[in-house]
Formats: sequence, structure tokens, C-alpha cells
Amino acid sequence: MDILIFSLFNGILYGMLLFMLSSGLTLIFGMMGVLNFAHASFFMLGAYFAYQISKFVGFWPALIIAPVVVGVIGAIVERYGLRRVHKFGHVAELLFTFGLAYVIEEAVQMIWGKVPVSYHIPEVMNFTLFSLYGLEYSAYRVFMLLVAVSMFVALFFLLTRTRVGLIIQGALTYPNIVASLGHNVPLVFMMVFGLGCALAGLAGVLAGNILGTEPGMAIQLGPIVFVVIVIGGLGSLNGALVASLFIGIMQTTAVSYDVSMNGFLNVIGVQVDFDSAWRMLVDLTVAQISPILPYLLLTLMLIVRPRGLFGVRDV
Amino acid sequence: MRIRVAMAGLLGLAMGSMALPALAAEDPIKIALIEPFSGPVAAIGRDTLEAFEFYADRVNAAGGVLGGRKIEIVVFDNAMNAEKTTQQLRKAIDQDIRYISQGTGSNHALNIIKALKKYNRRNPGKEVMFFNHSAVTTSFTNELCMFWHFRFDHNVDQKVAALTTFMNTDQDVNKVYMINQNYAYGQAFQKAAHKYLKERAPKAKLVGDEMIVPFGKVLDFTPYIAKIKASGADTVLTGNWGPDATRLITAGANAGLKVKYYSIYAGIPAAMNTMGTKVSTFTPIIQITESHENDPDVPAWKVEEQNDWLAQYNKSEYVDRFRILFEMMVKAFNEAGSADPTAVGYALEGMTNRGVKSEAWMRPDDHQIHFPMVISHVSTDVKRPFIYNGENYKMAYKTDGWIAREDMLLPSSCKMKRPRK
Repeated sequence: MDILIFSLFNGILYGMLLFMLSSGLTLIFGMMGVLNFAHASFFMLGAYFAYQISKFVGFWPALIIAPVVVGVIGAIVERYGLRRVHKFGHVAELLFTFGLAYVIEEAVQMIWGKVPVSYHIPEVMNFTLFSLYGLEYSAYRVFMLLVAVSMFVALFFLLTRTRVGLIIQGALTYPNIVASLGHNVPLVFMMVFGLGCALAGLAGVLAGNILGTEPGMAIQLGPIVFVVIVIGGLGSLNGALVASLFIGIMQTTAVSYDVSMNGFLNVIGVQVDFDSAWRMLVDLTVAQISPILPYLLLTLMLIVRPRGLFGVRDV
Repeated sequence: MRIRVAMAGLLGLAMGSMALPALAAEDPIKIALIEPFSGPVAAIGRDTLEAFEFYADRVNAAGGVLGGRKIEIVVFDNAMNAEKTTQQLRKAIDQDIRYISQGTGSNHALNIIKALKKYNRRNPGKEVMFFNHSAVTTSFTNELCMFWHFRFDHNVDQKVAALTTFMNTDQDVNKVYMINQNYAYGQAFQKAAHKYLKERAPKAKLVGDEMIVPFGKVLDFTPYIAKIKASGADTVLTGNWGPDATRLITAGANAGLKVKYYSIYAGIPAAMNTMGTKVSTFTPIIQITESHENDPDVPAWKVEEQNDWLAQYNKSEYVDRFRILFEMMVKAFNEAGSADPTAVGYALEGMTNRGVKSEAWMRPDDHQIHFPMVISHVSTDVKRPFIYNGENYKMAYKTDGWIAREDMLLPSSCKMKRPRK
């Protein structure tokens, strides 16, 4: 029971971190149909900007300024890059964002160097809020959770309950009709892309000091955000939330249990020779394979239900 | 005195320029440095090159080797791709370079060793030498050993043996939890730790043995911290490096986990900067190195070198083995009286050289260097805080103890075939 509650709680914390990382990506895909390979790079930019800004004016202004700057950069990229490429189709867009990821990585290395920078949790948040089964939880982690939750609520309301959201959704399905109603559709796309990037930037500001801010962070994070949005259903905000929480809880629980195939085989009376090649395979515990479980889930999901949990169209 | 030095310098310069046509016949001795100079780990390659240039400049300023031949470092970028290391090695050999140095990534070193074994057998009289400065896979000086490979860093088994030797004297170490990266190096660390904990730290009880998927794939270490906590461990023994080390320790500090970390790479400068002073000193992060600036026993000549280094690069010196490599190499050239790798190899065998604590020794049987190593932990209470590219990290290392050269001696299974002299 203890382990269950603990895994659930940690899983939610970790899951909401994943949600923060992937919400912008799924938003951009859902609204524009662009699979943004550079998403994790915008996340990295957020972390680096926050590091630089917090050096001068502290963490709190950085929390606001850094995502805004990342959002503006995203909007510029859409206006002067993606929009031109758009007419050549999705493959061109994909390749464009793919190249962009490398450009951003190189730029970051040129400006901030190739070694990790010292971006840390703000002192005011660096205290223990409560303890659970002997582990302390800092106020900062709870703050991250709160920001992630409010991010979801705000996005949800923006898209489903406001006029802007209505126009955005309309512009996706019937761009020509929305345009003839007098709305500036390209501007809407630019705003959506900028907002998606800003969300990635915000995630960078909040997670950069926990995960470590270094040029390799974008590459490390790239795959997992794609797993989240594919499992959740491309373009579905609810799907991203559910998938993030699911992956978070699943991985945390898996780490907590040292169950291996060998243990199971022993129970049913099968012994595997110690020197055989199979031994290595059956000795793997669930804890050891926990980080690859999401990718396993991804492949299974693509086979069984290509549109993901909440998606409306196949990948 | 100063005038005389200046005069001597001027004289040397004048003579040098006069002797230029004659020197042209004596080509420089080229050393190919194959490291990552692009990609996410390029900082390591650049730092290594700086060290090589620092010592090469000193050798050249003192008149070079073999009566005036200069040492020239030729850079080859492998972009941290082991296939490319093999290509670059071939390129270096095509340019008639007969000395190769590499150290970042044991899979790269393995490729070099394999390729050179073949090449040297097929090209007698034109052998190529490999100076391995940091690749620590134990087998390179055991079953994979060869005459044209010299290692100037201790291997994983030696470092783990040294760590466990020290753990046995540490009153705080009773219950040990191991956590390692699931790939060649992490598995080697785990295997060695099992062996030497039993042999050298029998009082320590192993309460956990964890393998994780390596290279930043684990984002949240909190569940692992919970397991460590539940096991009642007071010590974590880990070979982890990079984000796998910093995230583990950061998660532990954030969760209030008070354990000692025994490691090889968890406290390297880049790691402590990522973690910050608060996390780095929340609980002792213990590591093993050749020397460090705040050790009270650092001799005057080494302090002088550290000061020169700081003045030249605006960063603190971190490793000492590049110095040992260069000093031994220069001695070997002059002793052999030639730049032929075979003669130089024989000169290096059994050679001793000054060390920070006591002498370094190149064991002839397997070409493995041996010197005392220092155990230290990260601390803010230091005279010389670590500086990197002008940034003061406000912390550095504090000595906990030294491991004698004799304790670094491990048996080797190397059966080396030696060439004719």
C-alpha cells in the first residue's frame, strides 16, 4: 500500500513534468499539423534563457521573460521559416524543424559553451514542504506541479471556451472559410506556433534546474515527448495529459518493484542455466527496463491503435 | 638574474632562427590526437587538446627532444563516433604519423587497439604507437594488451579497488547501495565492485545493486532515491557520470537523502557546477583522482605549473596524467635516442617519473601506469576554488586520504608478444 501511494504520487509529479514538455508539441501538431522536431530545442532555449536572465534579475522575472522570449523566437521562426516551407508539404516542414534543432544546438554551444551551466533551484523555494515515507519533497517540486496543472487548465479553457480558441479550431479545419470571414489565418498559425514554443520554454525554465542545463538536454528529451504525444493521440491535449500521467506512474511503479522474469520462472518451477545466454534476458528486472517501457508502449500503440488514446486521425 | 634569463632567451631565439634551415631536415615528431572536437561532448576534446598543447609548448620551449626536434600535435575529430575514430586513425597513418593518442571513450580506444594490432603485424618497421591517456577498460592491459599500447590512467578495476580500500577505513560506511549504468563501463564497474568490496572492504554489507538505462534516459531519480532510503544504505557506490550522476545526486539532495557517494566521476568539475554548491556539499561526494589543487602535499613545482595553467587558460588544472604522459614520453625519446615507436616502447617499459605524491611507474608486463591516487570530496571550504573559463565555482576538492601505489597493484593476465629490439 505504501509503495502504491508513493508511486502514484511520484508518478503524478513526474507525469506532469512530461506533460509540460509535450503540451506545446501536441498543440502545434493539433492546430497546424506540423510535427515540430525542434520542440525539445525550444525547451533547451527556455532553460538557458532562464539561467541567463536569473543571473541578472533573479528567478521570478525569468519565469515570465524567458518563455515570452522563446515564444517570440518561435513566432519569428514560423513567420519567416516555416510559412515559406509550408507550401512544399509536410516532409519539407519536418526536415526544416529537424535542421532547426541542430542550428539551435550549435548556437547554444557557441553562446554558452559546451559544458553544463550552473542553473539552480531558487533559494526561496529550496525548502522541504512535507515528507512522505521518509522522503522529503521540496516546495519547488510542488510548485512545478501547480504550474503544470494551471497550464493544462488555462490551455483547455483557451481552446474550448474562448473566441480565440474557436477561431484557432476553425482555422485548422476550414482555413479558407475562416479567412473569408475576415480573420487573419496566417497570424493565427504564427500565434499558435509561438504559444507552443513558449510552453516548451516555460517547461525549460522549470525543469532546467532539476534535469541540468547542458547542450545535450534537447537530444536526451526529444524521444520521450514524441512517445507522449503519439500515445495520447497526436494533437489531443487531454490525450497528452493522460499519456503523461500514465507513463509517469508506470515508470515510477516499475522502478519500485524488483521483479524479474527469472523470479516468475522460478515460482512456476523452471530453472534457467546460469551460463546460458537466456539468463541475461530473464534476469532483467522490471526496474531495469523501466526507462524503455514507454517506447515499448509506443510500438504497441502504433500496432493496435495508431491514432493513440484520444486522437482523431491515424499517425 | 632576470636579465641573464632574458639574454639566454634572446640568444636561444637568435640561434633558433639561425639554425632554421638545418632544422628543417629534422621534422617535428607528430602526435595525432583523436578526440571529439564537435558534437555535445566536444568540451572534453577541447580540454584534452589544451592539456596537450600546454605540455607540448613546454617541451618545445625547452628545445624539443632528440637535439632539437619539436613535438607537434595534429588534431583529428572523431565526433564521438567510434567508426570515425577508425577512419581518422587510418588518415593519421596515411600522413606518416606514428604516435596516436586518445582517451575519451573505451569503445574508441578498442577500435584503435584492434586496428593497430593488425597494422603493426603487417607493417614491421613502420609500427604505430598508441598512448591511451584516459580509456579505462581493464582488458586493454589484460587480455587485449599489446606492446604498442601504453595506458597513463588507472583502469576501472584499479580505481574501484582503491575506492573500496578506502571505504574499509571509513567509519561511516556500513551498508552500501550500488547504482550503475547498464553498458560496458557500468557493468565493468559493477563487476569490479562486487569483487573488491568482498576482498578489500569486508565490513561493508551490500544492500542494493541497481542498473539503470544510461545516458540521460532516466529523468526522475526519485523512485531510485526511495529504494536507497528503504534499503537503509549509508553509502552509495556508483560509476555513473554525466546527467546520470548529477540527476541522481540532485534528486537525493532534494529528497533529503543523507548518504555518502563513492564515485569515480560524480564530482568532476562540470558535474559540481551543474549541481551547484548546495547540492554538491549537502552530503559528501567522494571521488578518486591523480591530484588536486587543495591537497596539502602538492609540491612546489606542481603549484607553479597549476598557476601557469590558470594564467594561460583561465581555468584550474584538473588532471595530472597528461603531465606524466608528456614527461615520460620525452624521457623515452631521449633515452631511446630515436623517434622509432619500438625503441620508445622499450624505453617506456619500467620507467619511473616524478609524481605529485610519489613516483609514477610504468609496469613493463602490461604497460599499465601506477601511481598513488587521492580520495577527496567536494567542499566549499577550500583555499583554491575551482575556476573554469573565468567562472569561479566557489568549491573544489578536499583530501580525505591517499591510496598508495602498492594498493593500486593488481595482477594482470597480459601475455605480451614483444618485437625484436
